[in-house]
Amino acid sequence: MATQQSNDERIALLQGTLDLLILKTLALGSCHGQGVARLIQRNSEEVFFVDHGSLYLALQRLEDKKWISAKWGISENNRKARFYSLTVAGRNQLAEKSGEWQRLSRAMELILNGAMGPTSEEA
Amino acid sequence: MFRRKRTAHDFAEEIKAHLELEADELKDEGLSDEDARCRARRNFGNVRLAQERFYLKDRWAFFDRALRDLSFAFRSLRQSPGFALTAILTLALGMGANTAVFSVMNAVLLKSLPVDHPERLVFLETSNPPQGTGTIDTHETFSYSVYNALRNQSRGLSPVMAYVPLSNNKVAVRYGAEPEEAEGEMVSGTFFSGLGVDLPLGRGFSVQDETDHAPLAVLSYNYWTRRFVRDPAVLGKTLFVNGVPMTIVGISAEGFEGVDGGRSTDFWIPLQNRPELNAWGNPPDNGKIYTTDPTWWCLRMIARLAPGVSRDQAVAQLQPLFQQAAYVGLGMKMEGEKPPVLSFADAKNFYGFENMYAKPLRVLMALVGMVLLIALTNVVMLLMARNATRQREFSLRLALGAGRGALLRLLLMESFLLVSIGGALAWAFAVAATRVLGRWAQIESSLAPDRTVLLCTLAVLGLAGLIFALAPMRVALAGKAELSLKTSAATSNTDAGKSHTGRVFVTLQLAMCVVLLVGGSLLIRSMRNLENTPLGMKVDGLVVFGVNPRIPSVPEGRVFYVNLINKLRELPGVESVTIMNERLGSWWSNNSAMRVDGRPPDVANGGSNTVRWNIAGPDFFSTLGVPVLSGRDFADSDTASSPFVGIINEEFAKRFLPNLNPLGHTFGPDNGIATMTIVGVVKDHKFRSIDEEPIPMAWYMYAQIPVIGSMNVEMRVHGDPLAILPATRKVVQQMDPNLPLIKPSTQRAQFDTTISQQILFARLAGCFGLLGILLVATGLYGTLAYRVSMRTAEIGVRMAVGARRGQVVWMILRDSLLLTGIGVVIGVPLAMLVGHALAASLYGVKPLDSLSYVLAVVGVTAVALAASALPAARAASVDPLKALRTE
Repeated sequence: MATQQSNDERIALLQGTLDLLILKTLALGSCHGQGVARLIQRNSEEVFFVDHGSLYLALQRLEDKKWISAKWGISENNRKARFYSLTVAGRNQLAEKSGEWQRLSRAMELILNGAMGPTSEEA
Repeated sequence: MFRRKRTAHDFAEEIKAHLELEADELKDEGLSDEDARCRARRNFGNVRLAQERFYLKDRWAFFDRALRDLSFAFRSLRQSPGFALTAILTLALGMGANTAVFSVMNAVLLKSLPVDHPERLVFLETSNPPQGTGTIDTHETFSYSVYNALRNQSRGLSPVMAYVPLSNNKVAVRYGAEPEEAEGEMVSGTFFSGLGVDLPLGRGFSVQDETDHAPLAVLSYNYWTRRFVRDPAVLGKTLFVNGVPMTIVGISAEGFEGVDGGRSTDFWIPLQNRPELNAWGNPPDNGKIYTTDPTWWCLRMIARLAPGVSRDQAVAQLQPLFQQAAYVGLGMKMEGEKPPVLSFADAKNFYGFENMYAKPLRVLMALVGMVLLIALTNVVMLLMARNATRQREFSLRLALGAGRGALLRLLLMESFLLVSIGGALAWAFAVAATRVLGRWAQIESSLAPDRTVLLCTLAVLGLAGLIFALAPMRVALAGKAELSLKTSAATSNTDAGKSHTGRVFVTLQLAMCVVLLVGGSLLIRSMRNLENTPLGMKVDGLVVFGVNPRIPSVPEGRVFYVNLINKLRELPGVESVTIMNERLGSWWSNNSAMRVDGRPPDVANGGSNTVRWNIAGPDFFSTLGVPVLSGRDFADSDTASSPFVGIINEEFAKRFLPNLNPLGHTFGPDNGIATMTIVGVVKDHKFRSIDEEPIPMAWYMYAQIPVIGSMNVEMRVHGDPLAILPATRKVVQQMDPNLPLIKPSTQRAQFDTTISQQILFARLAGCFGLLGILLVATGLYGTLAYRVSMRTAEIGVRMAVGARRGQVVWMILRDSLLLTGIGVVIGVPLAMLVGHALAASLYGVKPLDSLSYVLAVVGVTAVALAASALPAARAASVDPLKALRTE
């Protein structure tokens, strides 16, 4: 039962990773999809490459959950674009998820850096 | 789930905006316009995939895909409307005819009585009635004393219920001012509770009601709907039955119209003991009615097996009681008399239907099943031909990346569409057809298709749909993806053209068609024979109706009829008037043994001494137009005070008074209470039905016998017989405002009812034959036309190397004739089987009637040739140069 539960969490977290990144990016101010993609790429020092198709579906998913809202507007270089901004619910979600993520990454760090005893010989 | 917040178009717009923004930015980073666009697109990845994922998000993917497949299949069918129409119509006709016949069979033979646990119910039957009794039916009716004895035991059967019609026809009722007619039954107090029939409104009867002969009535749901527009206020109102007031106390469950097949009872009353409500509407016999006359076996009985008792146990327990009760009031059993033996018949279904309809219905079902097989194979052949020509399309689809699954889905959807449209049409057809059939067959209970029929139809349709999808799948997949690239249009189909499956199908169809045509023509020839059977009278210009007056005493009854006859004679346009007890051509007759010259007659060769007799009025034979061979007709001067006279037919004279002048001899009932002097001999004619054989008949004069009751009035009029009815109605109601004319009809129509079943079956079988041959013709034509078009190249080559046009035509025709020949060889033995099964339904035709077989074979051959003519002509007109050039 316990393993089952941790499995679920792991999937949720992995799936939520992109969501979390988007929420964090939008916390800095409203932005269109292309901008979000660029920002994530840039702010992660190009470690993350965002698949744009997935990004837009993720944006749609977050919008459906009412964590972000969207409306069509004009970009700084006079292009029509769809701008996303964080809702109150989204802000709460961001706080909660980033807390979770920090706990997880700390745990990962502990395990990966700590002295792990040798595992089974046969393995 | 289906509420869409955002359109796919909006999403596409956003992606477009993204690509532009990205390109702008890349340009700022120093790329050329072209490169920037390209890079932006490459960075994005698969735009289509993203759009599709957006589209599928939140959708019930399977349903969505099915919808799209459906609309695709619809478009693809619309591209070949001729094919789609033919397939759908073929299905609709084939399935519709089947559904109709099956639903008749279901209603008549398979459907259970709408009662509680019908499998525990039994109809009571006897091997024979004791001697010295009169019966309605020798096996199915019992005396009141038998009923009384059986219902007072409670071991084997509980309860035992009796039911008996108030008339063998309709009975006079009145609700309000106007007299009407309705079908009514007297029943036991346990009738509704014992059968387990619900009464949605009011109550049923109790045992006390039966004991008290309470004046109560329960209406059937159908009658309540038809006559009283479901007015709940009828409860407590009075319904006059033969002038006796009955209080309406309940409405029976919907669908329950009594336990006899073919009859639909309108109302029930508890068993009565009043002379005006005697069983079967009979007048009292010497003052006795059904409750007091142990010699009159007239009640039908149905019973429920007591809990935990098997059928055999119940019979064994009741047998001694029954055999004792059978002789109550009859005195001692006669020397060497076979005692009656009680037995049970299944009461799951309506009584009497099984015997009347089982065999012809099964044969019809088999015939219509063949029509369905022909129709289905036709559609399969059509589909295979159509999909073979689509082989290039399929190959192309496979080459472009469609999976086999996608092809199967397409075929499934196409077949689903065909089957559901065809099925819906078939259902509508069946509903209409059963209504017409019910009217033709004069079956009053509902024949409309019910849930069982629906499920069966859906099952067959489902199966058909699967076959229709899978049969062409083989052809579709036979062409690999490469095929479309390798071969040309004209030659890619030659393989399919040589398929043997189509030939096998056509041969089988031709065989079934032979069977259908033989069956149809046997039945139609029987019908013609029946219709042309001379009745032995001038039946045109005769009109008949029943009257059932209240008759306080026999002399008053005679006065009533003398007055009625005299008044009707005075109506303008009336040529002559007479009356009779049993209506001619109504299936009813009195039959009993008689004394001739004071003793039971000696009959040569042990022939039957049963005489069919009737009670008649003055001018009986001259009104009917039956020739009097010697002596005279009944006359007004034959009265109770004049010498008692009787009239016989030729057969009577031949059998009981051979080689004698019958005039002056006497006959009378075998209890010897009356003797009639024969004053006339008339020519043999039909009495009970059109298909009866000559039988000894005798007639009493109504004014000279001690019984008088309801009568049928026969009038010969000038002009349209039915036009006299309004004037007649007025005359009758002047005499008694309670009296309706019961079942008025022309005598011709009345006789026709006795062959309505044969006419119905013959017409149906004829229709199936025509339908079959039509379907076979289209199927054959389709197959041949397709084969010829596939062989265009081959024919071109043949002609190029010297084949003449005649040879080409012969090549095609020879093929059809070969198939026809094989079909006939298979079909004729099958037809002989069907003819044998039909033997009981034939009249004046042998099951091996050669004319029917010759006609069927000639018909099939002619149709085969006709269907081949057009393709053959097309083959002959192939231009060899053109055919070769396309190669």
